[in-house]
Amino acid sequence: MKLLCVDSEPVYREIVSLCAENLDIQVKSVATYEEAIDAFSTYAPDIVTLDIILKGGSGFDLIQQLKLMAGSRFIPIIVLASHTSDIMMDKCFQVGADDFLSKPFNEVLFNIRFKTHMRHVELMKEMYRKNRTLTYFQKVIEREHEMAHQVLNHIQMKSEKNSEHLAITRLSAAIFNGDLALVKTRSDGARLVFVGDFTGHGLPASIGALPVMQAFFDAVENLTSVSELGLRINQILLGILPDYMFCAGYLMLISPNGEIQYWGGGMPNAIIRRSTGQIQPLTSIHMPLGVLLSSEFESILQSEHLDKGDTLVILSDGVLELKNHRNLMLGEEKVNELIIEAYGEEDLVEAQKKVEKRLVDHLGESEQFDDITLVSLRRTH
Amino acid sequence: MSISVHTNDSVETVTITIVGSFDFSLFNEFRDAYSNLGKVYKGYIIDMSMVEYLDSAALGMLLSMRNSINAESSIELKGANDFIRNILMISRFDKRFDIH
Repeated sequence: MKLLCVDSEPVYREIVSLCAENLDIQVKSVATYEEAIDAFSTYAPDIVTLDIILKGGSGFDLIQQLKLMAGSRFIPIIVLASHTSDIMMDKCFQVGADDFLSKPFNEVLFNIRFKTHMRHVELMKEMYRKNRTLTYFQKVIEREHEMAHQVLNHIQMKSEKNSEHLAITRLSAAIFNGDLALVKTRSDGARLVFVGDFTGHGLPASIGALPVMQAFFDAVENLTSVSELGLRINQILLGILPDYMFCAGYLMLISPNGEIQYWGGGMPNAIIRRSTGQIQPLTSIHMPLGVLLSSEFESILQSEHLDKGDTLVILSDGVLELKNHRNLMLGEEKVNELIIEAYGEEDLVEAQKKVEKRLVDHLGESEQFDDITLVSLRRTH
Repeated sequence: MSISVHTNDSVETVTITIVGSFDFSLFNEFRDAYSNLGKVYKGYIIDMSMVEYLDSAALGMLLSMRNSINAESSIELKGANDFIRNILMISRFDKRFDIH
């Protein structure tokens, strides 16, 4: 810790130096305005004491000048004033002084005040150090999220595009979305669907996405059964993810005749909106993917049927748990109402836009905490 | 602290109480709570009656706990409110934990 003592009276330079040395502080004493300016840059003190009445200039100007030179660094300036009045004291603080003692000062009081300022300096230094470290790590994480984003976009591009019978919406909370939605029509006309929600965000969540994508498109190519694909993805994720990460998801196969075979683990209900306006839930009955050993994995499928004009809607828990500014979650009831209303629209993409708008309206000014994925599939003929 | 640990050696159980939000921020603290006990207990009780919110990271932390603790020891998830119980049931945690 270094002190710069600016005083035109030799006796005070002596007293301040003695006090400071007793506190184990290095001191440099100067007598004039010019010397103070020089010493401030060359000596680089952590703390300054000065008198307002000073050879070669005004103490007020000096305070302002030193604060300007200090910039964002916190260097306390303690005024030791030989002439005191309320107006003068007030002006000292206005131009930037941090403390004020009148001469002759009590040594005990000086020491106490001095120690307080030193503590502040230490705290500020510590804060700057930590801030620098945090900024560094924040940059690293941002970079990783960008990378994960790119990886996932690459995967997502391979999914089928929105059309009269398919609409996919993904709104991510972090830069990278931990949700994955893949739809692809097989050579036999059946459509394979995977909607997954990985634990966490960012790079960790993207690690599982690549091999899952590979398994999905292999299954499209090889007409692999849903239960076989479920088992395979479970095994892949069990192998590569740490035990505190998994992926909730639906795997579905929709035949051209409207037959749905599905496997669901750890997901909220999916919903069929009948063309008549009724709704019917599809339930997820299994543990998420990547938790159970292959020997424990249950590949039992459930089935449903889509009639012409029916819409199947799969949503991640981010939709149900979407909170508005009053901290109220959207909830199942509201989501069901929304689905009944919006998917009455003849154009599926328009219907989906309506839902998106309602979700954004519900969110309002509040922050989105979880990823949102919404996939709707309609049987058009 | 959001996590407190209370051991009862006479009945061989340990109760881990979590208060507030059970999420990724408790990752290390939660792991320390069950792994730094010096011995293996017969029964582990996670008191969730004061948990207001639980995210998927917390589910992962519970699974990780289940993996690291002897299969013979039970883990009971106790006192979860309806919202949290629903999350636990959707992920079928009843297959690995006793939910009360």
